[in-house]
Amino acid sequence: MKFLSNGNLRGWLESLMGMGSLIAPVDLEPGLTLFSQVRDPGEVNLEYEITPIPPKDLFFPSSEALFRFSPSRGYEIPRIEGETFLLGVHPCDALGIRLMDFPFLSPPADPRYEERRRRTTIIGLGCVKARPECFCTSFGIGPLDPSNADAFLVPVPGGFLVEAKTGKGARALASAKLKEASIPIPKPPEVSAIDVEAVRKVALSLFDSPYWGRLADRCLSCKVCAYVCPSCYCFDIRDYPTRDGAERVRSWDSCQSPLFTRQASGYDPRQTKASRLRNRFYHKFSYFPDEFGAFGCTGCGRCVRYCPVNIDIRETLSAILRGEARIA
Amino acid sequence: MIEEIRAKAADLLRSGEVKCFIGYERASDGLTARPFFAYSADEADRLIFDGTCVHNLARYLPDMRGKRVGILAKPCDSRSINVLIREGQVEREEVYIVGVVCDGVYRTTWGKPSRELQPRCLYCSKRTPVVYDYLVGQPPPAPESQHPASISEVEALERKPAAERWEFWRSHFARCIRCNACRQICPACYCPQCFSDQLDPLWTGIRIGLPQNWVWNVGRALHLAGRCIDCEECQRACPMGIPLAILNRKLASRVKELFGFEAGMDPRAPFPFATFEKEEEIL
Amino acid sequence: MSDREPRVVGFLCNWCSYAGADLAGTSRMQYPPNIRIIRVPCSGRVDPLLVIKAFERGADGVLVSGCHPGDCHYTQGNYYARRRLAILRDLLEFLGIERDRFRIEWVSAAEGQRFAQIVADFVKKLKELGPRR
Repeated sequence: MKFLSNGNLRGWLESLMGMGSLIAPVDLEPGLTLFSQVRDPGEVNLEYEITPIPPKDLFFPSSEALFRFSPSRGYEIPRIEGETFLLGVHPCDALGIRLMDFPFLSPPADPRYEERRRRTTIIGLGCVKARPECFCTSFGIGPLDPSNADAFLVPVPGGFLVEAKTGKGARALASAKLKEASIPIPKPPEVSAIDVEAVRKVALSLFDSPYWGRLADRCLSCKVCAYVCPSCYCFDIRDYPTRDGAERVRSWDSCQSPLFTRQASGYDPRQTKASRLRNRFYHKFSYFPDEFGAFGCTGCGRCVRYCPVNIDIRETLSAILRGEARIA
Repeated sequence: MIEEIRAKAADLLRSGEVKCFIGYERASDGLTARPFFAYSADEADRLIFDGTCVHNLARYLPDMRGKRVGILAKPCDSRSINVLIREGQVEREEVYIVGVVCDGVYRTTWGKPSRELQPRCLYCSKRTPVVYDYLVGQPPPAPESQHPASISEVEALERKPAAERWEFWRSHFARCIRCNACRQICPACYCPQCFSDQLDPLWTGIRIGLPQNWVWNVGRALHLAGRCIDCEECQRACPMGIPLAILNRKLASRVKELFGFEAGMDPRAPFPFATFEKEEEIL
Repeated sequence: MSDREPRVVGFLCNWCSYAGADLAGTSRMQYPPNIRIIRVPCSGRVDPLLVIKAFERGADGVLVSGCHPGDCHYTQGNYYARRRLAILRDLLEFLGIERDRFRIEWVSAAEGQRFAQIVADFVKKLKELGPRR
């Protein structure tokens, strides 16, 4: 463990900006912090509470052209260039990136995701406070868990305890003025856990429960829960004309949208709000673990916080555990 | 007040007058409110009403067509019900409206209630619902008092040069992630196919970013001209903090100035864009 | 001020304004070639989204032109259009698109001269405003 003083933070961030682009939490509006490209180290807010959008869009942008084609220039793939330092990633969001790796890096790997991932160093940041919606400890991580990051910072009085976890992380820290740490690692804040393994064991037996219909009564079928989720990775692909040709565009999409499963014939296997809401839950707590051996949730609580009608996934997990989801 | 609401809802459900009563219950933070659908007299005990009940429940009525439902309606919600009735989305006879006299609701986000009135409540002139079958609370003596409106964000923006206005909206819309929360929460957005989901003509497509986001947000606002009752739910639902209510309020005030029309006040008043005067100086 | 010529999209109703533009052409009147004319059945056909889309795609100005009030081929189309376009113009202005970039004009089939004059004035005004950001 090393120590980085607050006074030496700026110099380190400047050197990272010299090595590549620095993406970190920046306050854009009152009450709105987003991972953004840093132009001045002073913009970086490492005391941020939460960003509505997790850093997933750095690897899996909300929209991108996969390729373009035109009669004059032929076939072109937009290039991915440079090196990126992603700073200030809380353990839940670092786990989110790890979870994204399963679908995007399992063979055949998505080349654009893989390339961005390769060029990015993830510098994690411990949480000194828990939010009321946090339940990350349900997924084998915790507020000060450095796994899934290349380097990790833990805020302490006067600065940060610093640790490199990978070679990439060591390289990012090489330019930081560090001292031997004399402060112990602080006690992490309390975060309550839910027994998600137990939920998984019984979940499928509740597939046809009327519970889902009741829960979906207030659901709006918007896509907030999916777009703010660090592990939701669904997308849509379409071709659009450009001035002299066309391009193939990939954009985020979500199973909560009524258009997501509608087939060309007009048939939709998930016609009701309840079936769509249920799908998101089962994807995270049943299908994803079946396929990849990990839960598709990080416990960040964003869907809890940002759902305009408070569909709280922790309530669903508890209802299943307590057997309440069995009744109407 | 809440006892009266619960008793009324329980009566309606027990007598079979309605199949479902749409109101509010406490949210999972224990502090704010969320929409609640009661199907039995017992469940009516979970109903609450206070300044955290911000949601416009009229949004759920088109989903309930063909069923007799009861609904708790603040004055703003009641205006939305009027809009839906006039536009043929809700049958008046199918809805039992329990109106509630309202002193305004607070700015809330999950886990963070406040005691600060929502901006829309500062502009609102109605404390009594405009349509109801049963009224909870004492209507204030007429004429209804108006909360003192704070400095209008609309006017502040109007005073800026065009270039600044352009930049203001461009930077806000650039952030839009097109999650459609604004559309899905809106009581006036019920089209089976939204223009933004159309393939032909292609208005926006799936690309998230400028300029498509500009078309989406401008088109959305325009389709609400004369229909938005300023419940500000779109802005509350937006995870990216885009001030959509300013846009809606600007259009509503122009519709009032040009055509003397306010959405949802009178279900018999003709919709301003479905009628005209031969002689009118509006251009 | 840039040298780029303003690009104008004109939505012209089939019965009056398009015929007016046609008259300007057949009478060999000169007017700036900056306008790209789109013929629509009636000014009432001009969905405000078409105007929004034109601005999105880089138009410096948009002209909507139809029969004079009272003369609509479909009796009432331009009356409805007038209300919709009025609110659209206010919205565009609020969004930072200068009021002068969106023109609504009533031009009859006999007003070829007037049509030419409107386009000339419009383009002159747009040159003063400069290209859109």
